[in-house]
Amino acid sequence: MPQKELWERSPLRVFERAVGGGLGPGHVGIVLARAGVGKTAFLIGLALDALLRGRKVLHISTQESVETVRRFYDQLFKAMAEQLQIEDRAQRHLDVERNRHILVYNRKLFSLEKLEQSVGFLNQAAHFSPSLVIMDGTPRFEQTETWEMEGVARLAREWEAEVWTSSLVHREGQQCDGRGIPLAVARFDRWLAVVALLESRGDHVRVRILKDHDRPEVADLRLELDPSTLLLRWQ
Amino acid sequence: MPRDIHKIRNIGISAHIDSGKTTLTERILYYTKRIHAMHEVRGKDGVGAVMDHMELERERGITIQSAATYCEWDGHHINLIDTPGHVDFTIEVERALRVLDGAVLVLCAVAGVQSQSITVDRQMRRYNVPRVAFVNKCDRSGANPMRVAEQLREKLKHNAIMVQIPLGLEAAHEGVVDLIRMRACRFRGEHGEQLVWEEIPGPLRHEAEARREVLLDAASMHSDELTEAILEGRVTEELIWAALRRGTVAREITPVFMGSAYKNRGVQLLLDGVVRLLPDPTEVQNEAREVRGDQEITFVLSNSPADPVVAHAFKLEDGAYGQLTYLRLYQGRLVKGETLQNSRTGKKVKVGRLARMHASQMEDIIEAEAGDIVALFGIDCASGDTFTGGQRIALTSMHVPEPVVSLAVQAADAKSENNLAKALSRFTKEDPTFRVETDLETNDTLIKGMGELHLEVYLERIRREFHAQVTAGQPKVAYRESMTRAVDFDYTHKKQTGGSGQYGRVVGRLEPVEGEGFEFVNKVIGGTIPTEFISSCEKGFRAMLQRGPYVGFPVQGVRAILEDGAFHAVDSSDMAFQAAARGAFRQAYPQGRPVVLEPVMLVSVEGPSEFQGEIMGTLLQRRGIIVGTTEDEGFVRIDADVPLSDMFGYATVLRSATQGKAEFTMEFARYAPAPADVSAELEKRWAERRAAGEH
Repeated sequence: MPQKELWERSPLRVFERAVGGGLGPGHVGIVLARAGVGKTAFLIGLALDALLRGRKVLHISTQESVETVRRFYDQLFKAMAEQLQIEDRAQRHLDVERNRHILVYNRKLFSLEKLEQSVGFLNQAAHFSPSLVIMDGTPRFEQTETWEMEGVARLAREWEAEVWTSSLVHREGQQCDGRGIPLAVARFDRWLAVVALLESRGDHVRVRILKDHDRPEVADLRLELDPSTLLLRWQ
Repeated sequence: MPRDIHKIRNIGISAHIDSGKTTLTERILYYTKRIHAMHEVRGKDGVGAVMDHMELERERGITIQSAATYCEWDGHHINLIDTPGHVDFTIEVERALRVLDGAVLVLCAVAGVQSQSITVDRQMRRYNVPRVAFVNKCDRSGANPMRVAEQLREKLKHNAIMVQIPLGLEAAHEGVVDLIRMRACRFRGEHGEQLVWEEIPGPLRHEAEARREVLLDAASMHSDELTEAILEGRVTEELIWAALRRGTVAREITPVFMGSAYKNRGVQLLLDGVVRLLPDPTEVQNEAREVRGDQEITFVLSNSPADPVVAHAFKLEDGAYGQLTYLRLYQGRLVKGETLQNSRTGKKVKVGRLARMHASQMEDIIEAEAGDIVALFGIDCASGDTFTGGQRIALTSMHVPEPVVSLAVQAADAKSENNLAKALSRFTKEDPTFRVETDLETNDTLIKGMGELHLEVYLERIRREFHAQVTAGQPKVAYRESMTRAVDFDYTHKKQTGGSGQYGRVVGRLEPVEGEGFEFVNKVIGGTIPTEFISSCEKGFRAMLQRGPYVGFPVQGVRAILEDGAFHAVDSSDMAFQAAARGAFRQAYPQGRPVVLEPVMLVSVEGPSEFQGEIMGTLLQRRGIIVGTTEDEGFVRIDADVPLSDMFGYATVLRSATQGKAEFTMEFARYAPAPADVSAELEKRWAERRAAGEH
């Protein structure tokens, strides 16, 4: 099967079209969800989609080990290979691994400065410059300072990469703005191009777009996460 | 003398290579009065620590083979299973882990959690082994047990809870403050055998109280009784121990002990911890499978001496006393003079002599019961066999990886030839990852194993223990081949050469499947192939796997689906259908875009941050795929997938690139497609060989 057709079939295309053709290089997007709903899976889904299209992905974590993150990718790759009926899986898997780098920091040591250094180093030593950067759970939005968020946006522009982050939404008592974005996140509005929310609806998880670049209207998305594979699928 | 099973501890000591494991073991044996003098691993007295009883190990200062030894402490019977510290021998480690109920994870107070500790920890997780940690070498300069406990949390994700804090560090290290007893302990006497308990010194009081809070907090998660006692202010030592024990056995707490084995500090308190916190055999669930009729059922072993005997041979050893087989008893009782049956071979063996081993000395015993570890003499079996009273029971199979490296060996003369054969037959029994084969083209003897060092150690043993003069070739990687897309087949095997003919037709599909095996699926309906010939077809397909049609290496990851066929009432036979299946495979497989697969290793390199560039360079030069980087204070760890064929000699390269400051571990990860130049070369060679063979 030609590569093009392969990713035309992906539900990720629907998501992409809904947010005006994707996040776009130099922009920062965020996915919000309650604990355990599937933020990481959603982000890795985005990453795998990019990897299968030959793009380079940097995955940053301050919580999981390299091994754990990798295992998560492997599981989702397997599910995605089934979903999209990918042929020549071993070779494809190899390509995925070749184009991905997992960067793990001791939480206490993590800083934007350090991150900038590491990415510079990767570029120099391994000629690795990512076009998609996943910052899972980093930074922590409730404690984040404005200058830090500004820093993330600046890095996205410098790297000319899409940067996806995530944040927890608490069960109760969280104040939201008119669009449904928690205030803790909304205060960084000017640096966030896309805001997506994963909502648990009984046995499945629905994906909602709360913000789409500068468009006043957001698309009503008919996508959900498959509860068994945690992959995006049509409703 | 019947023993109380609740007072048995089967434990291992697992550690990074230089963290002082052997010294610790030696001290344990000394304090439990099993030995009466102490030596060091690289001892000046030339005696060497007792557990390292192989000459080669003595010379290298590392422990290669695990030996079981026992000792007694506080009325408890402790079987110590020495586990090797080198990763190339992971099968030894894993085999030892299988029979353990708990372990002591030894860590160096200076170096902390190193890459090898991570590998060992991963293995322990696989076998669900509860652990206590011992932070050794607190007397060394730069020792920082708090940082090590922190690393246990950060790097290994243990819920590490300190049950002690050091009483002085580096040269001033004199003992520990016990946070359960809330007393300080100093170790006096020539060998630290006198424990002097005293008040916690003023400057340490504050820290001790703060750490005790953390300890109580963690322990109370596992005991309501303790929680209540804390609220009411009547906490007792016993309540803390009980709660900690529950957390440890459930693998939710890793209590951290500390000291210096070399300076004789803290070992006795660690032993207290071992008997009080690690599980007894009844607290660990072990499963076995039994064949009854044509059914296989899984059941949990009872640990009861009253049930039929089930014993697992986890270790073979050829020593001064002849052949020894180490057994772990999971059920029943073993009595001298009785008969046992080897479940795998069906052979009966008589328990002639039963002993408990203490490294290379031994003690004869009359009987042993469930939960215990003993040695038998002169029994013919392979490591991993199960012994029973007659039932067909096998312990859940251990994870045995396929060998990935091979080496050709040649004996110099007839005598050596003979000795070599003896050595190889012994090693293959001892070590399931060590295999011997004959290269059909060159007639060379090939030895296969898990890595360069793995085979090197055996070569040295061949030379030293078996006095065989051998030369060895360059290590070679074990390639595999597979197909990448599905192909239909329809093949008729027909021969009419006078007499009875041969006829068989098979129709179906070959397709790639994940994993390392071969699958055969029978979907024939309506008897187009008679039932009795279905297995002939499977046999025919399987016959093709040993040497793949593509480059002549073993085929893996293929599923054959048999859907239809035809037969002839007279001319069809077992032979004919086997030939038809072989023909179908030969015809279809090459159209399935076959690929060459090479073994890929997961390599983890850890070193000071300033060498990050050099480390990455060495990996990229070896076709490595960098998986990830972990940055920590002053240290960096890089994980990469590297083809094994590029890893030969890596140790030397890494050492010189990093001034010896980085270290690495390597584990087999998977088979992955080899690059085009390798495939092309192998394809060419195979074509030439086949052409030569046809003439």
